[in-house]
Amino acid sequence: MPALVAGIHAKTMRRVVGKASKRFALAWMAGTSPATTAGVFLSLVIFAAPALADEAFVTAQGADALSIVDLSKMQTVATLPIGGKPAGVAVSHDGARAFITSPEGKFLTVIDAATRTIEKRIPIEGGPLGVAASPDGKRVYVADLYGRRLVEIDLANGAQRSVGVGAMASGVAVTPDGKTIIVADRDDNALSMIDAATFSRVATIAVGKHPFGVTIDAAGARAYSANVESDDLSVIDLASRKVVATLKCGSRPYTVALAKGRIFVANQHADSVSVFDAETLAPVQTLKVGEYPEGLAVSGDGARVYVANWFSNELWALDAQTLKVLGKAQTGDGPRAFGAFIRDAD
Amino acid sequence: MRKASVMIAATRLLILGAAAGLAVFLPIAAFAAHGASPLKVVETTIVDAPPGKVWAVVSDFAHADWLPGVARIEASGDDVPDQARRKLIMVDGGVIEELLTKRDAERMLLGLHREGDDVKRLPATNYTALITLRPAEGGKTQVEWKARFYRGYPNNDPPPELNDDVALAAVTAMQRAYLAALKAKVEGK
Repeated sequence: MPALVAGIHAKTMRRVVGKASKRFALAWMAGTSPATTAGVFLSLVIFAAPALADEAFVTAQGADALSIVDLSKMQTVATLPIGGKPAGVAVSHDGARAFITSPEGKFLTVIDAATRTIEKRIPIEGGPLGVAASPDGKRVYVADLYGRRLVEIDLANGAQRSVGVGAMASGVAVTPDGKTIIVADRDDNALSMIDAATFSRVATIAVGKHPFGVTIDAAGARAYSANVESDDLSVIDLASRKVVATLKCGSRPYTVALAKGRIFVANQHADSVSVFDAETLAPVQTLKVGEYPEGLAVSGDGARVYVANWFSNELWALDAQTLKVLGKAQTGDGPRAFGAFIRDAD
Repeated sequence: MRKASVMIAATRLLILGAAAGLAVFLPIAAFAAHGASPLKVVETTIVDAPPGKVWAVVSDFAHADWLPGVARIEASGDDVPDQARRKLIMVDGGVIEELLTKRDAERMLLGLHREGDDVKRLPATNYTALITLRPAEGGKTQVEWKARFYRGYPNNDPPPELNDDVALAAVTAMQRAYLAALKAKVEGK
């Protein structure tokens, strides 16, 4: 129990207490005794909490499925067949939906995250891979690996439009204000900067060799690309559209995540995660993780970093502050989890 | 629409042409273009010898001439990960170059990456292997040979001879042959 309570972050507690308060008011109006009401309150705190745990939506490409991991238990609690070799994932900011790309099946699957059911499949030509949702949840951006384009899907009416980007478009990230989209053009060794309103390419920024995963910070000031072939991370100032630093990582860096004022980079060949200070850009530590780490994402409260290990079929939880391994969960075969795969309990 | 499909066809030809060009003129390309879906093959065997004895053979990256079809080996880099390379000079005259990516004696784990792809020899690309030894019952050793790779065709809609199933079957057969050869070498049969 203590571990479980410790795993519930402040926002969740407020939500639980908020719900309990409503019940308290109802019970009071119905004339229930204070003792019973207190009992209801306590049981709500105890039993409602696990249902509100953060979840990981892990694309298990080999298994052709989505593994949903309860992060308070570090256990796969549901497996959804997806088809088409699912790889990319983006959970909407409100946690209502998850968007899964299937590059071989050429479609995007929209998942109702709460009921864990497939809402719809949207065909996308080419090889849909990297995916990100607009902060308001109204649009989804999908990189077509083979078609040199980024596709925008308007979820209200299903309309699609695309903008030309570079070769082998991979990772996608959106600024918190929703105004700018960054795409990793893998085989061009560059990032494309897209203006979301006009859906046009406003800049290309040369980075290291074969950028794959991209991430943007909470302030919308910097973007980061993990460059697979040059074994480094490019730090980009979005206002000036320039690389301001290049950080040496382990062998084959693939994805990047930000938590607790630190930068985390998954190194596929090194079976490790490189950690840097986001302010000074100095290396902090290199953590050994499972075999062939791929997707990286952060818990809703920023306290934990999760890494999907493709070879060993595991999701590992790391403490973003202490940098200790907190737990491991088995997933379906070949977890990629390429994108923002955490569903915040709030 | 018609223009787009012509362009895609042209791009495909270009990719195939580039791949053929690489195979002929630049057999040592570190990383080839590949698609969105890595494949995995895990094969295991039990070797009737203690792990230390099996590790002595597996970890000798520069002298793995027990690998099937290999006539001799040219190696460099002193078994240092990310530096050590070996050229497998095949009996048929072909050459396969591999980079050592991991060599962990404590965990008895060896990693390698095949540099440059020849889909005529192996209809797969970006072949990376991880060989792990674990103690088994009766003083024997379990050897796991697992690989990550992509199908031979680097784009969507592969031709039948370069699709996922062909790549999976070829890598499975290759790794089974490797394990059988390792077993024979260590057991002295």
